[in-house]
Amino acid sequence: MDFLAFLVTQCLNALSQAALLFFLGCGLTLIFGIMRIVNFAHGAFFMLGAYVGWSAVYVTGSFWGALVAAPILVGGFGAAFEMGILRRLYGRDGHSFLMVTFGLTLMMGEAIRLIWGVAALQVVMPQSLSGIVFILDEPFPIYRLFLAGAGIVVAVVIWQFLERTRLGLLIRATSQNAEMVHALGTDVRLVRSAVFGIGCGLAGIGGVFAAPMVTASLGMAPNAVIDTFVIVIIGGMGSFLGSMIGALLVAFVQVFGSYYFPDFALAFMYLIMLTILVVRPGGLLGKEA
Amino acid sequence: MRMTIAVAVLLALLPLGLPPYAMTLLTEALIMALFAMSLDLMVGYARLISFGHAAAYGLGAYTCGNILLHTDIPLPFAVLMAGVFSGVVAIGVAWVCTLATGVSFSMLTLAFGQLLYAVAFKWTSVTGASDGLAGIPRTKGPFGTAFFGTKTGFYYLTMACLFGSFLFARAVVRSPFGAVLRGIRENEAKTLSLGYNTRLYKIAVVAMSYMLGGLAGALYAPFAGFANTELLFWLLSGQVLIMVIVGGTGTLVGPILGAVFFLLVQQQLSTYTDSWALVFGAIFILFVLFVPDGIMGLARRRRAH
Amino acid sequence: MAGLSRRTILTAAAASPVVLRHARGETPIKIGMPVALTGPAGEIGTQMRHGAEFWAKETNAAGGILGRPIELIIQDTTGDPATCVRKAQDVVERDGCRLLFGMTLSSEALAVVPKLGEWNAIFMSSDNGDGRLTGSSFVPNFFRANISGPMETRVISLWLRQGKLGKFFALGMDYAWGHNSIGVFQDEVKRAGKTFVGDVYSPIGTKDFSTYITKIRQSGADGCFLVLQGDDNAAFLSQARDYRLQDKVQLITSIVDLNSIHAVGDAAIGLAGSTRYVATIDNPKNQAFVAAWQKQYNALPDVFEGEQYQACKMLQAGIEEAKSIDADKLRPALESAKIDSIKGPVAMRACDHQAVQGGYIVKVVKKDGAKFPVPEIVTTFPGDQVTPACRQMTFDS
Repeated sequence: MDFLAFLVTQCLNALSQAALLFFLGCGLTLIFGIMRIVNFAHGAFFMLGAYVGWSAVYVTGSFWGALVAAPILVGGFGAAFEMGILRRLYGRDGHSFLMVTFGLTLMMGEAIRLIWGVAALQVVMPQSLSGIVFILDEPFPIYRLFLAGAGIVVAVVIWQFLERTRLGLLIRATSQNAEMVHALGTDVRLVRSAVFGIGCGLAGIGGVFAAPMVTASLGMAPNAVIDTFVIVIIGGMGSFLGSMIGALLVAFVQVFGSYYFPDFALAFMYLIMLTILVVRPGGLLGKEA
Repeated sequence: MRMTIAVAVLLALLPLGLPPYAMTLLTEALIMALFAMSLDLMVGYARLISFGHAAAYGLGAYTCGNILLHTDIPLPFAVLMAGVFSGVVAIGVAWVCTLATGVSFSMLTLAFGQLLYAVAFKWTSVTGASDGLAGIPRTKGPFGTAFFGTKTGFYYLTMACLFGSFLFARAVVRSPFGAVLRGIRENEAKTLSLGYNTRLYKIAVVAMSYMLGGLAGALYAPFAGFANTELLFWLLSGQVLIMVIVGGTGTLVGPILGAVFFLLVQQQLSTYTDSWALVFGAIFILFVLFVPDGIMGLARRRRAH
Repeated sequence: MAGLSRRTILTAAAASPVVLRHARGETPIKIGMPVALTGPAGEIGTQMRHGAEFWAKETNAAGGILGRPIELIIQDTTGDPATCVRKAQDVVERDGCRLLFGMTLSSEALAVVPKLGEWNAIFMSSDNGDGRLTGSSFVPNFFRANISGPMETRVISLWLRQGKLGKFFALGMDYAWGHNSIGVFQDEVKRAGKTFVGDVYSPIGTKDFSTYITKIRQSGADGCFLVLQGDDNAAFLSQARDYRLQDKVQLITSIVDLNSIHAVGDAAIGLAGSTRYVATIDNPKNQAFVAAWQKQYNALPDVFEGEQYQACKMLQAGIEEAKSIDADKLRPALESAKIDSIKGPVAMRACDHQAVQGGYIVKVVKKDGAKFPVPEIVTTFPGDQVTPACRQMTFDS
């Protein structure tokens, strides 16, 4: 394998990983931006997405069906949770949200174990994506290219949604000044429910995308939640663009770091986070919180 | 004060009446209680919310484990030394973390905790890497310290550490130093403008908090006979924070009750059902909805009625 | 002291006929089983539980052991050593268990084992792979009925000696099991006169294996030894297939189990490796076991289910021989226990409490009509070649 081929394939690998991290991170950061809450259960929603995806493939026989069903169901569940529980807690300090989402994480993990069982489940990728292409004579999975592409598409869609639509405008306005939006006659509560639902739905779709590569398993949630925290913190809590940069940075450092310094693979992520926070306490694009 | 003495006497008499398994569980609960209380010093009094307090616990546990494994220093001294060491390390950690405030401070503590976790995985000669340290003895020494190696003796050692730390922490928060901390909690800018170097105060309270947290970890190592990387993992940091919140922040007593509640309920639930997490999770959600100020808040409200 | 102990013995002797009569068919034999039912190791722990429950039901239906029924006290450890120690303490001190199964992870077992003496309890391991449990961390009350990590690796090495593959790379999880197994493998490869081209360790919980796959490809190896488990194993196998790694490199894994195969489906095809137990072992004992198992669970018994059953049988043989569950009587009986197991003859060794038993090499193949690929036995090696010398983790020849 020559160096150029190595470089190109590794970069593509990093891009596909960044896409997965981005699905998680941008949901978390949107939620934080609007509600100032750290959603500890974000990893659990990611895991739920993978399991719902498995069932959707089982029922509809199609991965594409899962990509539609999982975000809707997971996002719907998230929105329902916001309306049923979180809504009663606004105005309280951050502790309450931490504890509620911690409790939710425990419950979701166990509920998933009861419903889908303890064994990991295979989510088969569609035939059309399971092949390989040759990039500079090196085989590369089409699925990973698809993942990187999906990441870009979702990023553009969310960006346009925030910039162009009325709800997007409300979301941006609410994150800057909720009282003002409320005073102007908009029901801020609905905006919050929508954002929490969208954030959870994004985690859910991330779960479906990840499932063919890692299987749907009970270890997904704790693994995912810490990675997500890291990228969101690096990018700046509440910053959409920041979560994108954070995801790219972490993915590239992981892919190249674990190649050149495999012994430090675990420490890299935290070192970057520490360095960035020391230099810019609010994260790359965040306001100092 | 009268209350404190009454509780101390009650706890001191418990070994006479409790079966061995309950003693073991109680000892572990008191260690956790000390750990949770140590975090409350930062969280409750200076609003320095740490997501990485497991670092203190793990540092204490590994330090104490290494002292007991490799030297002849008797148990009680090893525990104290490990606590102090943890506090000293914390000065450096706090110096960096207090560069930031609010959520960023929390995230820096998390980063430090996880970095320590990653280091522990690689520094085999000191931490035993993924195996951890096993077979940590309760080294005997002169002046009757051998007593602390027994089950009952260890319980009393733990109790002594908890009460000593509690009295220390209470003295701290009631002192002028504590008043400045509360000033920082309510309005840091104002406190700063009054001429206090708030950052120094914050570093000091983090060091104290780590010292007591390290003491808890230092007790855990000889209690369980092992120390491993799980003791440094962020999950433990999250759990201890929950214990503090369940108990009620800024009360010192609350987190002690919160930790005991957390451990005993988890232990009892999981004895009866595999699906303990379902019930346990629901308890937390209901707790937030109906007992917003934690156990101490509940107690206070009942007294008010 | 001497006076006291003599008096105790005399009292016990005087009381024993009464106790025995009272015990027959009444006082159950309590076995504590702290095991990971939830958390990442929950898959293995649940298998262990099934294995033990199956045995308890079967044995109780046949009249129990020494006329006493078996009572399992199963507790969830979540795979966390601290919780495991607490749960073990609980079943010993509260429920009065003096016999233990479970401790799914080696980190859990290593934390519990130093306490066995104080508790006067015997622990019969059914899945702990760490070589040190019968080596440097040996304690008299620990017994291992299962194949250990070094033994798995040895089976693979013996098989590779016969094969054509010449250059090897190794990928392991970055913890004790990974490092120890690859250490043994490296020695064995060199001894066989073949080339070891490199190794790499992935942190536990790694989700993206692309970099590691790149490293394997670049190494130019024709065989890659894998020491991965659970989610990490499933993720690696799925992704290796995405990159068509199997076209160039024979993947050899330290343990092949049905759960992993089900999790990755066709990505497991072609995988070779050692296994501790597989349902297709061809002997009457196993056929009867598999048939009874299928009747109860409507599935084939998996690796840790078979291993747990064997561990139960080993303990049963010891108790029947000792006619007691008291650790001091049971220990010598177990040290010479020999059973006709579902894996054929298995004998406990007195010097390090490791059960001597044969090892299997299986290859995962696609079979018509089966929903998932199935492991087929390629070859077996006898116990004396597979088991290391007493309290050793490596092999001399």
